[in-house]
Amino acid sequence: MRRRGMPQILRQWAARALLASMLLGSALITAMSLPYFDFETLPPFVIEKLPLRFESLWLGALRIHVAAAALGFPLCLLLMTRASQRRANWHRWLGRLAAVLVLLALLPSGVVLAFDAKGGRIVTAGFLLSAAIVAGAMIVGVRAARRRDLILHARAMRYVVGQMSVAVVSRALIVGLDAASIDPSVAYVAALWAPVLASAVVVEWFSRRPNFGHPNRVQLVERIRRELSPLVLVVRVRAFFRPITGDGR
Amino acid sequence: MFVLSFVPSLATADEPSLVDWTQHRVEAGIIKPLGERAGSRFSRSRPPPHESRVRVTQTTLSRDMQGHDFVPFSVDVRFGAGNWQRDDIIGCVYRASGNLFVKRGDAYFPASLLLGKKVDPVSGVCQAAPARS
Repeated sequence: MRRRGMPQILRQWAARALLASMLLGSALITAMSLPYFDFETLPPFVIEKLPLRFESLWLGALRIHVAAAALGFPLCLLLMTRASQRRANWHRWLGRLAAVLVLLALLPSGVVLAFDAKGGRIVTAGFLLSAAIVAGAMIVGVRAARRRDLILHARAMRYVVGQMSVAVVSRALIVGLDAASIDPSVAYVAALWAPVLASAVVVEWFSRRPNFGHPNRVQLVERIRRELSPLVLVVRVRAFFRPITGDGR
Repeated sequence: MFVLSFVPSLATADEPSLVDWTQHRVEAGIIKPLGERAGSRFSRSRPPPHESRVRVTQTTLSRDMQGHDFVPFSVDVRFGAGNWQRDDIIGCVYRASGNLFVKRGDAYFPASLLLGKKVDPVSGVCQAAPARS
């Protein structure tokens, strides 16, 4: 039996806690965003934007963005789990769905919203930078997956999830900075830029660590390759049924 | 001067001054409902202000084009121990009806807009008619 060291166990629990907190944050954002789909009333976030140059376009973009994020972020989190990565077919199809959601719905609508972001050009620039990182990383990640370059794929997807996590971290920071009596206009800028830059730095730092996520990178790649191979799947299915057929002699 | 102090005032002792009336009307019609509406938010909307104050920007009544009297006001807000941010809400209240209007961009809307109602701008409100020479 393989023994795992304490740091590895701690790392695994930290990763699980991060995943759970992001899922919880995503669920909270979705719950708080439901009023955007009440066509009879205006939520506070919309009221404070009024008057808008292109109100219908902006409201449409907001609803598309919220719906795409409500589906896309949990989906991306799910795709980061080993449970999903073990099921190669599911992982591939869910990955395609996530890529389409992000590239065709989340990002274009986010770019439209960015130009009317409160806080002015500095906030617009922050949202556009985050969108550029997500778009670039998603395209690189998808192309890497098609080439079966799983290391690059994993790294690129960490960038995507890192930027998507900005939605949760940023809101948590807004709440925290408000509790610390920081002026909301300052808090809004800080709560956007800090997680956008920090998540990119953290992802890059983790990706450069030689032992990140697995004691041996070559071993990890081999393991994923084995799991992705249809032949191995057949062997596994046969291995699963063999004891049963064996008992039936 | 001594004689003047015995002349009865047109306002009764129980009737609040125009400034007090405006402040109460704005607090009841805007500040209080906004405070009740703002719960714990995990959204990008601005957190509710820690303090709000109503400033009546004109102590006398103004008359609009339709001949209705109104009083303009401003709401200032404060977050934590920071400075007061002036004119967070600008609007007016009508003396006879008590109707409240708020400014968004260049237009005035019924104050229910701030509470999430979809309302159209109302032209001519909160704008004093030009003085007759």
